[in-house]
Amino acid sequence: MLLDEMRIDENDVGFVPSLGITFQLNETGKRIVELLQEGRSKDEIVLALSQEFEADWKRVYRDVEDFFLKLKVYGLMQ
Amino acid sequence: MKIALSGLNNTDNPAPGIGVAKGLSGHELVGLSYDPNEPGIYQRIFERIFLMPYPSLGFEELHERLAYIKEKSGIEMVWPNLDAELPLYIKHQEQLHEMGLTTFLPTLEQFAMREKAKLATLCEELGILHPQTYMANSIEDVVDITRRIGFPLMIKGNYYKAYRANTLEEAIEHSYTIANEWGFPLLVQQIVEGIELNYAGVADGKLYGGFCIKKLTTTDIGKVWSAVTIRNEAMEALAHRFVEHTRWRGAFELEAIATNEGIYLIEINPRFPAWIGFSVDIGLNLPRMALALAMHETVEPKFSYPEQKMYVRYVDETVCDYAEFTKLLATKEL
Repeated sequence: MLLDEMRIDENDVGFVPSLGITFQLNETGKRIVELLQEGRSKDEIVLALSQEFEADWKRVYRDVEDFFLKLKVYGLMQ
Repeated sequence: MKIALSGLNNTDNPAPGIGVAKGLSGHELVGLSYDPNEPGIYQRIFERIFLMPYPSLGFEELHERLAYIKEKSGIEMVWPNLDAELPLYIKHQEQLHEMGLTTFLPTLEQFAMREKAKLATLCEELGILHPQTYMANSIEDVVDITRRIGFPLMIKGNYYKAYRANTLEEAIEHSYTIANEWGFPLLVQQIVEGIELNYAGVADGKLYGGFCIKKLTTTDIGKVWSAVTIRNEAMEALAHRFVEHTRWRGAFELEAIATNEGIYLIEINPRFPAWIGFSVDIGLNLPRMALALAMHETVEPKFSYPEQKMYVRYVDETVCDYAEFTKLLATKEL
């Protein structure tokens, strides 16, 4: 999975070193990538983000679902 | 070492000569040009400039010209950098050596293996993916092939130029554009959607050095304007496989598309790319490595280079006496 090799710099720019492609992430996107790289599941990520951002899990779930879709569209995850 | 090299165009359609020259700084360099308008002539890189006969005139003309240049300037090596002239130099390497001119080129057989029309076979042998490619000897052929593979597709010249066509009208227009300039055959190639990666390397039966880039911006005809160094294991493995399989000798460039299914090899150029000066700036001077191999010196393979270094081409200006231009035009040398 390309996402595993993504490096995120101090400006929240994610770089995939084997392909030279870059993505601008926001704070939440960056956190989701970090959690995915730690091997967390979607449910675990939703739970972690709901707690960290003190947000309603249903809304967080929708955002995470949407972000996962984008990752797939960009070929970063299967 | 006094080296004569060609490919001095340094416009937005750059040739490799100036990048190669960058890697050979410290050596006496002589420029070989086909056109007095090539900017590289006036960049104060070359101690002498000579206009060359077009490759279509054959080896006799080339031999005569190189003998003259050798006598006038004392060149010891000739380093062709243009696709259209390479077959002539490769075919007559022995005669060039007999003239006392060193070369560092693939054999004719190696050169033929990577020709656009034969690339599919080589890719099969290498076990690498390759887009469907068909040779067209007429506009009628182009039309037939477009019916088979559909749109979008690429229309490519055998040596130069490649255009994307989204419709039959565009395919015909691009075919005429290329054929009018370079003639037939053309190649009609399926488009593979993905990320284009390029690898430049030097080999002499085995791979001695190379690096991989991703183009960031290109000119209208696809020439690199900015790029970033990357490490891609699949591309590195492909480069090793290509060199081991063909026993390649000389410079080369692999053009590939990375997709979810794997790497598609779309082209192998039998020379350095125009952005080879990038290798010098990242501490992997591939032209110098090629020169050392040509001189049969001991060369340590080197594949380490910094990742995420960015290459940026830019426009510069220079001023020279108009008399230089007219002298070159009139006497064919400077």
